[in-house]
Amino acid sequence: MASVISCKQQAENKALIITGQSGHDWKVSSEAVKQILDQTGLFSTKILVSPAQGEDMSGFNPKFSKYNLVVLDYEGDAWPEQTDKAFMDYLTNGGGIVVFNSKSDPGQAISESITSSKRYTFEIRTRNTDHPVTKGLPVRWMQPEDVIVQGLVPSGSEVLVLATAFSDTTHGGSGKPEPVMVAMNEGKGRIFATMIGLPGGEEDQALHSVGSIVTLQRGAEWAATGAVTQEVPSDFPTAAAPVLRPDFKAITTAEAFRMIADYDIQKSTRYYTFIQNQLSRAAGDEQKLLALEKEMVKVLKNEAATAEAKKLMLRELSWMGSANCIQAIKDLADVDGLKDEVAYALERLGQ
Amino acid sequence: MSEKSSRRDFLRRSAAIAAGAFVIPEIIPSSVLGMGKGTAPSDRVVIGAIGTGSQGMSNMRDFLRLKDAVRFVAVCDVDSVRLNRAKEVVDKANNSQDCRTYSDFREFLEKEQLDAVSIALPDHWHGIIYTAAVNKKLNVYGEKPICRTINDGQIIVAAVKKNNIIWQTGSWQRSQPHFRRGAELAINGRVGKISKIVVGLPDGGRTIGTPPVKEVPPELNWEMWLGPAPKVPYRGVSHWDWRWILDYSGGQLTDWAGHHIDIANWGAGLEHTGPVEISGSGVYPPEGIYNAPVEYDFMCKYANGIEMRVASSSRLEHGMGTTWYGDLGWVHTDRGNVLTASKPEILQEMIGENEIHLYDSPNHWQNFVDCVKSGKQAIAPIEPAYRAISVALLGEIAMTTGETIKWDPEKEEIIGNPRAARLLSRPYRKPWTLPTV
Repeated sequence: MASVISCKQQAENKALIITGQSGHDWKVSSEAVKQILDQTGLFSTKILVSPAQGEDMSGFNPKFSKYNLVVLDYEGDAWPEQTDKAFMDYLTNGGGIVVFNSKSDPGQAISESITSSKRYTFEIRTRNTDHPVTKGLPVRWMQPEDVIVQGLVPSGSEVLVLATAFSDTTHGGSGKPEPVMVAMNEGKGRIFATMIGLPGGEEDQALHSVGSIVTLQRGAEWAATGAVTQEVPSDFPTAAAPVLRPDFKAITTAEAFRMIADYDIQKSTRYYTFIQNQLSRAAGDEQKLLALEKEMVKVLKNEAATAEAKKLMLRELSWMGSANCIQAIKDLADVDGLKDEVAYALERLGQ
Repeated sequence: MSEKSSRRDFLRRSAAIAAGAFVIPEIIPSSVLGMGKGTAPSDRVVIGAIGTGSQGMSNMRDFLRLKDAVRFVAVCDVDSVRLNRAKEVVDKANNSQDCRTYSDFREFLEKEQLDAVSIALPDHWHGIIYTAAVNKKLNVYGEKPICRTINDGQIIVAAVKKNNIIWQTGSWQRSQPHFRRGAELAINGRVGKISKIVVGLPDGGRTIGTPPVKEVPPELNWEMWLGPAPKVPYRGVSHWDWRWILDYSGGQLTDWAGHHIDIANWGAGLEHTGPVEISGSGVYPPEGIYNAPVEYDFMCKYANGIEMRVASSSRLEHGMGTTWYGDLGWVHTDRGNVLTASKPEILQEMIGENEIHLYDSPNHWQNFVDCVKSGKQAIAPIEPAYRAISVALLGEIAMTTGETIKWDPEKEEIIGNPRAARLLSRPYRKPWTLPTV
């Protein structure tokens, strides 16, 4: 099973979140961003809190070059000149930067032409499906209870708009599509800027949305390394509805098989969707499919597993099962409530 | 082409019915109503309807709009409210109370003596009921997609061929002039040699979560509605919304394959073949009872080198519809009378006498009636319908397995992938079985 369960990789990338001054609750956001990045297993993240607004910034001089990624969760006072210069050197020498919900550079006032919609649930359109950050994402997906920042003008010709949201006038919006995620290269460095996931609102839904979490994780990996190795998860939202992760955590294969035993369609279908997604990701890889089959057979044999859970496993085994599952399926032939599904699976498996 | 459905046979059958077990009431000749030369009752196609939901009733109204072309005599549905509504429409059209009603298609097919039947059902019933109707030698107006699985489709195609009946698929876009014109420009090389086709179908994207189990309404025979599909409790989802659930349909992709993929095939000469390689991916809803893909994007390669991309429209430059690309440009068609091209001159092109002239039908339902009478093949016959939905179903298999599927369009088999091949059929829940041909 080890080959299927996504092993935590060694956190190869050191990330630094710079925060401490912001128009939003930076204590909430910076802690969330740290959890979200560390959750990938790709980053080991530190938070650096700047002096408070108006206080002496002269000693603010992070060692950017120690990091592969710097996250700016910061709207506030200017940095000392040498810090600015070190930051630009870091970038042009190949450093990665994520701009998280920041509408101005340090020391600059937020432009008067920048406004915000009210908080509401809106659809995001992926505008670039070739960029590593957005490749494989749905084209249309819902972002819950967030704010669309309008009037941002991506500067520089190298800026790629990765996603937009139509800012609805009935929610104080501009009546236009606004960029919500951009990427750009600067020297050898890369910048990913995201304007979704603003803390606040009911239960911090915007920040806990799978769309914000996953695009932040992918944007961070791209900024740090120039590539994205993370898969688009099966719980990524669609145009139908947003999806939340209360603890920011992605479903793992082990968790999915543990949870599926209690399957109750009324509660959630997400662990089943996850398993189906794993099967298509295995895409004919015999070893991966056999490993998944083994877990599925365990559900069939698990006396505590619900009949509904067993039905789902029988449905999937009916097409991807090997000789290894036949006996376990036959053993269920006399179980009330499973006869149809057993017959279904055995017929398809040519038994 | 069928000789069995010749006009003579047709009239004889009608006469037998008129003289038979029941009496067709007097029909006011249409000439009395000032509509000119009327049609004798015996010249009308005697037709019944199985499935009287939204599409079934829409088709019925389209047939009735033809005035004296058809006479509905019987309707069948598992929902008695819809059944009675259909009877009312028929009785009003016939100015009688004689429309017979059935809740079981088997009884309907057993008892009724018809020339034709109009069928509009959830996809999971198509295999059984289309084949049963065709085996009764009825001419069929059948809704797309004609099958839920490729295996179902193969049986239906074989049954239609063996029984030599007239089949018309509800792919009515074929009977619209601008779709035909677009396809005719494409097939006659006005975009050059076709190298690529892009087909845009609607995005999905509605969710209702998982509604609680409900009491089945008294008018609905839920067990019969489910039929060969897996038994599940009733959650208020049956009419119309079945199309978002994979047990009954493949979502927007399979719902629309019979329109824009069908037109794509028509204009590229692909309506009697299929792709040789299919690969792509879908976006599935993470939560809820609706589990059909809401976005999809897959590529089909044909033996002659053509590549057809089928995708949800939000991913495509031209959005919905069909676009044929060749070395001289492109032509795009869509609903709403859309016919555009890379260069306006392409749209001005004449089609010469010796070039390919596609079947011309100004009215899809009239065309069916005419063909039932004449024995000529209808504009949307069975095999093109099967080839159109096959593209979508092979795409579905590629998305489910994550694999590049190799398909033999002659033998109609998946090559070298036993797992994917199992997805060519869905076992039926007992006691239902797919009829043999």
